[in-house]
Amino acid sequence: MQTLLEIHDLHAGIAGKEILKGIDLTIRAGEIHAVMGPNGAGKSTLGAILTGKPQYEVTGGSVLFKGQDLLSMSPEERSWAGIFLSFQYPIDIPGVSISNFLKTALSCRRKARGLPELTPSEFIALRKEKMALLQMKPEFLKRDVNVGFSGGEKKRGEIFQMAMLDPDLSILDETDSGLDVDALRIVAEGVNRLHTPKKASIVITHYQRLLDYIVPDYVHILKDGRILKTAGRELVAEIEEKGYEGF
Amino acid sequence: MEKVILIDAGVKELDFSLAAGERLSLILLILPANASVAAPASVSSAPESLTLPVRVRLDGAGADFRLHALCLCSGREKVSVRVQLEHRVPDASSQQLIRCIAGGESRVTFDGLIKVHPGAIRTEAFQASNNILLSEKAKVLTSPQLEIYADDVKCSHGATTGTLDEDEQFYMRSRGITLEQARQLQLRSFVWPVLEAVSDEKLRDELDERVRHALARL
Repeated sequence: MQTLLEIHDLHAGIAGKEILKGIDLTIRAGEIHAVMGPNGAGKSTLGAILTGKPQYEVTGGSVLFKGQDLLSMSPEERSWAGIFLSFQYPIDIPGVSISNFLKTALSCRRKARGLPELTPSEFIALRKEKMALLQMKPEFLKRDVNVGFSGGEKKRGEIFQMAMLDPDLSILDETDSGLDVDALRIVAEGVNRLHTPKKASIVITHYQRLLDYIVPDYVHILKDGRILKTAGRELVAEIEEKGYEGF
Repeated sequence: MEKVILIDAGVKELDFSLAAGERLSLILLILPANASVAAPASVSSAPESLTLPVRVRLDGAGADFRLHALCLCSGREKVSVRVQLEHRVPDASSQQLIRCIAGGESRVTFDGLIKVHPGAIRTEAFQASNNILLSEKAKVLTSPQLEIYADDVKCSHGATTGTLDEDEQFYMRSRGITLEQARQLQLRSFVWPVLEAVSDEKLRDELDERVRHALARL
């Protein structure tokens, strides 16, 4: 299987404070990896580093995505290459509708890839298909990005954007937080239906809950900036029993 | 009544008095001179120095005044706008929204005085001034002032000055929107509440086009 992501001895932090203290992780197409750990372990930092968030600094190690040096790319180049982060706290953008936002995103991406713009009818057909996947109403498109959204709407909106952008590697950062059980199921089903043997996901979570729906192939325990243990899905039950203190 | 005024060097001052029940929606646009679609980029930008006093008196009960103003500067402009709004009678209302984007080495001063005369009870007067700085050398000075000599009034003013939000930019970039496109989306959403006040759709589209061109050069 094709290797999508190779992280070697990654050290990174923010404002001079080291948060990731030597991460090694390899992800191949078709795999779902869960990264679990207590608060402050560095889970969100991992997502931030992989997507190139400014302010964060890489102090050592390397990351290859499809064989290319990921760390030298801008955030938009990483998106064009096929990486997507579902934010733990999606950002409000007053005055920009979801529809306009996604049209701009697709247009930038297609231009970067040397493809012609989608025609208006192609765009409408695409978003209709993806909205059905997430059981969303058409009015949603007219709303400003994340403005006044409930927790559930924000997360559903993130997965809708993911569906529209069709990434090869999706990083879901605490996608379960703020979701009631129905929203959780819709979001998880959406993620599962988007998954193919050519794609991979990293599911960052604190709790077992989401992993009842999105079943991981590998589970990693991240604590104090290091991966302490990697195993199959059975590790989830072990964490649930022992807590993170036990590792 | 609605008045849309594109400010150029020919506009020296504005003065309005509103009688009982009269409504005025005033929309002011201060754009770089090269914002017209046809003009080549080399055409020199707006009057280098512009001072615009705007005086409005609410002289009759039920008078209602709305101001939406937009100022875009990217070069060495010095723009000074002074709005003096007087509530002289009871039961009149006013709302003002002033939005300014300053880049380059421009200097923008906005003074907004709301004066509520003795006896002008049940006045409602609101003013908001929001500014975005695009360069370290650009400056916006905003000084809203309230002088209230009557009881039982609702008045407020607020001013903010900031830069384009980087968290918004990162969010957009993570979706594949280039930094330049992200900035344009942010700028456009910032100016939209002013353009939105233009009720004639055709005129609004024309102005929107000019503003887009101006924003693309900021």
